[in-house]
Amino acid sequence: MQLEDIRHKIDNIDREMLVLIQERMGLALRSKKFKQQTSDTDREADILARAGQMNLDLVEQPFTRQLLETIIRESKRLQEEDRELVAFQGEHGAYGEVASRRLVPSGAYIPCMEFVDVFRGVEEGYLDLGVVPVENSLEGAVTQVNDLLTTTGLHVIGEVNVPVRHCLLATKSSDYREIRQVYSHPQALAQCRSFLMRNKLEPVPYYDTAGAAKMLARENLGAAAAIASRLCAGLYDLKIIKEGIEDGPSNSTRFMLLSKTPYDGTGDKTSIIFAVPHQAGKLYDVLRLFAEAGINLTRIASMPLRSDPGNYNFFLDFEGHHEAENIAGVLEQVRSLTVNFKTLGSYPADAGIDAPNG
Amino acid sequence: MKNLKLAAHSSSEKTIIPVGDLEIGRDFVVIAGPCSIESREQTMTTAAAVKASGADMLRGGAFKPRTSPYSFQGLGLEGLKLLYEAGRENGLPIITEVIDPRDVTWVAEFSDILQIGTRNMQNFSLLKEVGMTSRPVLLKRGMYSTLEEWLNCAEYILSEGNPNVILCERGIRTFEQYTRNTLDLSAVPALKELTHLPVIIDPTHSTGRLSLIEPMSLASVAAGADGLIVEVHHDPEKALCDADQALTPVLFDNLMRRIRPLQAFMQNLPSCAMAC
Repeated sequence: MQLEDIRHKIDNIDREMLVLIQERMGLALRSKKFKQQTSDTDREADILARAGQMNLDLVEQPFTRQLLETIIRESKRLQEEDRELVAFQGEHGAYGEVASRRLVPSGAYIPCMEFVDVFRGVEEGYLDLGVVPVENSLEGAVTQVNDLLTTTGLHVIGEVNVPVRHCLLATKSSDYREIRQVYSHPQALAQCRSFLMRNKLEPVPYYDTAGAAKMLARENLGAAAAIASRLCAGLYDLKIIKEGIEDGPSNSTRFMLLSKTPYDGTGDKTSIIFAVPHQAGKLYDVLRLFAEAGINLTRIASMPLRSDPGNYNFFLDFEGHHEAENIAGVLEQVRSLTVNFKTLGSYPADAGIDAPNG
Repeated sequence: MKNLKLAAHSSSEKTIIPVGDLEIGRDFVVIAGPCSIESREQTMTTAAAVKASGADMLRGGAFKPRTSPYSFQGLGLEGLKLLYEAGRENGLPIITEVIDPRDVTWVAEFSDILQIGTRNMQNFSLLKEVGMTSRPVLLKRGMYSTLEEWLNCAEYILSEGNPNVILCERGIRTFEQYTRNTLDLSAVPALKELTHLPVIIDPTHSTGRLSLIEPMSLASVAAGADGLIVEVHHDPEKALCDADQALTPVLFDNLMRRIRPLQAFMQNLPSCAMAC
């Protein structure tokens, strides 16, 4: 092994170590929700004792102790900061995290395996806020999320439209000319199909865009690249070979910010869900109320009712607060015409969302 | 010239190549910028300066074919990204040289036009590779090449399915030592007889002398060239390559002030009575 190879391996280990510490800090912040106070001396002693039982000849006891104590001190400092825990689905660097960072700039971003973990965590109070995608401008509604919105009791307190700008990422030491395979979520691969063909790259499906970036960094693959967000480049120490490699006009995903408590400011946009009895003209009766009151609808979507096949839930977004004078009256009438009526919440509209060409 | 099926004058109407808002072959295009991309500051400063003086496109080398392997080889893809950014910021399409067939598709991702340098004019595998992209190609004349050899190289690109080739005369080697090369201006009217492809002039490399750039640029306009490609550096003394032949932004501005009126004058010149 040459000095250069050795250094290269050391750099990889350092990067891997930092990514793991980041994950550990996230877990420490989550653990705080289960504890009365930050300090837990029994647990700390337990951690140090457990490490003491490991027999690593080059990592000696005093050093191990010092290292772990430093990490514990830092995680306690973070716990005291009282950052809000913002849950998103996917690995660190997913577009959900991009949305979370926009919606809650100083939060602690917690990756979750599934959408249901985001909803459950917020409902049960282990996580403060959740960020979930509701629709993509090209792919349509995210049915799993819309389903969870109808069945759980969370409030929508914000929204953000995130442009999906795919980047081709590779490890810093790799040569772009050597790249043969590109890992990413099948949807991202499909959106970059002609880019991949032009450059004779083989698409390899992976479970997640950010997961592909993480794997690339961990395995240090030289002849491979990943398609993921720009955020992933910084998180996993990858270089951006090209940004904006999607073929079509760029698409965007609308994310909603969820909380156990309603938005306490003056929101200017409202989301509701309802179903209508299976009778002629029922949906028309509801929509007529909005038209006559001059309330501008910004989204209307339907989704099959899981509990009652053949019937549908309707998702309606409109401008204005649900307690505003002209709106409250309309909603009262809508409630009487529909079943399973539910106000998801009123919240500030993302300025970029409904703008022309926005 | 019997082998020219696609490049020959008789085979097509005059080629007009759209690049951004430009139509190369119809508009007189001035391409300016540094010999090589050295830094963000250098690229941005030079790009803004040439734009202000009325350049139509931005040039800059990221992959440099240098005479010596120990000379600065260019910043590679990172340099190309700087050029791309500078072009976007100033509303200028960009052109850069590609020297390695493996780089062609990647350079085509960023550059509006691909340049084949004089040393690579007969690098047939490279010509085939750029012939397979959808980007226009600027093919420089080999420094020892005849017009026929040059047009055959254009034919290589055309035959791969890429119809957009621009020829660039950059001087040929003669026994003259005072100038770096001898600018063959007669190539312009000669090529107009031989081919339908646009022809532009590189007055920088052909003369290698700062004082000759302006006169030869004006002569190129008079000879009927479709454009110029000129080296401009915001601080030529510190340039990492071709330091003594790059125009300063002030000199470039002076050049532009004289080129545009001449160009307008040439357009209004009565056409010759006999069919030429």
